[in-house]
Amino acid sequence: MADLEIRDLYVEADGAEILRGVNLDLDKGKTIALMGPNGSGKSTLAYAIAGHPAYDLTGGTITWQGTLLNELAPDERARLGVFLAMQYPVEVPGVSLTNFLRTAVNAVNEEDVPVREFMQRLRAEMAELGVEESFLQRSVNEGFSGGEKKRFEILQAALLKPQLAVLDETDSGLDVDALKTVAEGVNRLSGPDLGTLIITHYTRILRYIQPDEVHVMFEGRLVASGGPELADELEAKGYDEIRASA
Amino acid sequence: MNLDALTEEGIAALSDAAGEPSWLRDRRLAAFKHTLDRGWPNSREDEFWRSTPFDRRIDVDRDLVTTGSGASAPGGIVDGLELEAAQLRIVDGSVVEATVPTALAEQGVVVADLADALTTHGERIEQLLGQLTTADAEGTGADEDKTIGVNDAAFTVGAFVHVPAEVEVAVPIGIHLHVTQPGAHLPRILLDVGHHAAVTVVLEHTSAAGTDALVDEVLEGFVHDGATVRLASVQSWHDEIQHLSLQKLQVHRDADVSTVAVTTGGATVRLRPETDLVGPGAQVRPLGVYFATDGQWFDLQPYVRHIAPHASSDVLFKGALQGDSRSVFRGNVFVDKDAVGTSTDENNKSLILTKGARADATPFLEIHCADITAGHGSATGQIDALHLFYLESRGIRREDALRLIVFGFFREVLREIDIPGIEDAALAAIEARVEAADLSAVQVNDAALRDAVSA
Repeated sequence: MADLEIRDLYVEADGAEILRGVNLDLDKGKTIALMGPNGSGKSTLAYAIAGHPAYDLTGGTITWQGTLLNELAPDERARLGVFLAMQYPVEVPGVSLTNFLRTAVNAVNEEDVPVREFMQRLRAEMAELGVEESFLQRSVNEGFSGGEKKRFEILQAALLKPQLAVLDETDSGLDVDALKTVAEGVNRLSGPDLGTLIITHYTRILRYIQPDEVHVMFEGRLVASGGPELADELEAKGYDEIRASA
Repeated sequence: MNLDALTEEGIAALSDAAGEPSWLRDRRLAAFKHTLDRGWPNSREDEFWRSTPFDRRIDVDRDLVTTGSGASAPGGIVDGLELEAAQLRIVDGSVVEATVPTALAEQGVVVADLADALTTHGERIEQLLGQLTTADAEGTGADEDKTIGVNDAAFTVGAFVHVPAEVEVAVPIGIHLHVTQPGAHLPRILLDVGHHAAVTVVLEHTSAAGTDALVDEVLEGFVHDGATVRLASVQSWHDEIQHLSLQKLQVHRDADVSTVAVTTGGATVRLRPETDLVGPGAQVRPLGVYFATDGQWFDLQPYVRHIAPHASSDVLFKGALQGDSRSVFRGNVFVDKDAVGTSTDENNKSLILTKGARADATPFLEIHCADITAGHGSATGQIDALHLFYLESRGIRREDALRLIVFGFFREVLREIDIPGIEDAALAAIEARVEAADLSAVQVNDAALRDAVSA
């Protein structure tokens, strides 16, 4: 049994059926790239795994390390090691970034990390990701640039040490330098204890993060699967061929 | 003497018993005569009372509390101020303590019982007292309703704070008003800040549990050229108190004022932080936070009058409500025809936590001058489901996430308060409210979720 098992998953949002029978296995230690054109349902799958309240699971199952996630609240999933780096991280006005991170780390670890120790860890991770010290004075995502938001998502992953990381278009809106920094951050997290699902429209992030498998989604189903070479094929041919064959 | 049946004889006797000078006795009687032809505010007719039903929320059939009770004031914010701070405590109808450290006294700083100050600073007080509430000068003193008139006529206890020109008082001056006796309390505070002086005043309001009283308070303040004043008014009443408070400042050339009202206690609190900007270049930043719970009714009416040119004002009030509580924000910014170069902004945001609470907001602008910049806005809403999801998706439990979001909402205001102790006190008061709240009943705004849906 794989660590993450998605079986015949159907998901609706705002009354529209978006996922129509998705099957996917992901083990810890592995990296899967999920590609596909805009509107194919990639982000819906990410949100369904994280438990976004706007997405209804109308059929099938999501199982993580033997636990059925379908009915679990988002915070319960996170405490089981599930992390979603969001495509559009929301600004939460006035909520202090430091306070937010510490509350999250304590919740996920089920224990209070001493403030001093926490701040040391936070500063160290910030330095690795090239995040400025002044971040500590800010509110969650408030006034962040697109690139800053993406870095902050990876910073959170680094602190929360998830076992399943879903990266939803983490590469979008990043220039090459920022993309490298973020990819390096993701690679530092990688190891035998982390399964990674990279959702992306373009292949450029896959130059820095090597996937073990590539799957292609179209109209709510996985329509093609293969090794890293599948990404190169898509890069060369685009999504039109998939559209034509579907 | 009953507040609803004041008499000329009664007021004369009150003044005589206090040994007041004849000018003050005459002024009290003149103010009394002025109230005679006025009824109490009628919420159906009086625009400024429209949102709060006076006859249901304010009981004026109460005897004046004109003497002390021997009770002492509990510890609080003022108590926690630094030792070198000047402090004054009012319990019921008397000033029980007025302390001015020697270093401040030597510079001429006065923090005193108004009755005592009449002897030492009588001439100054005669010039100032009532000028903002009864005079027909700049501002609207002459139009004040009866709730102010009765304070002019029959104030029961008073404090006088004077900071001489060019004196900068480093630590906040604390005034603590504590109520233990049922009845009507009419405190009066007179603040006189000389040119290029600087001072922070913390006005704390508390009551003994179970005390059913009306506090009809007037604070009148004069901020002269180039002075800097920070004024915090903290309403930490127990739940039976009805509190009417006019806190009116006259601000002169290039003076810099910021005020903050922290309201969490009281059955009904109607607060009027008012500023008359009468000197060019004057600026004011009126801030407010409030957290209303079952049974409470907060009516907040910040008013800024731009009389002089090139003055600026920026009003920001934020509050949360739960249970069947109500809040009213009726902000008003008046810009006189000669107030060219005015810059003003006025905002109110309310967070409705549970079903049944209601927030009314009307940010007014009354502009008689074309050459200005002005903005205003108000928003009433619920906790955003997307904010909640973001926090929950990081493992934070729903109740902790709600707490973080509510504190975050207030932080926009609280981080601007640079008065020692006030941010902490405000946070503690809000925290107590949040801790007591039934967070499982909090309603979340799902509307944003639908907009966020993307495949």
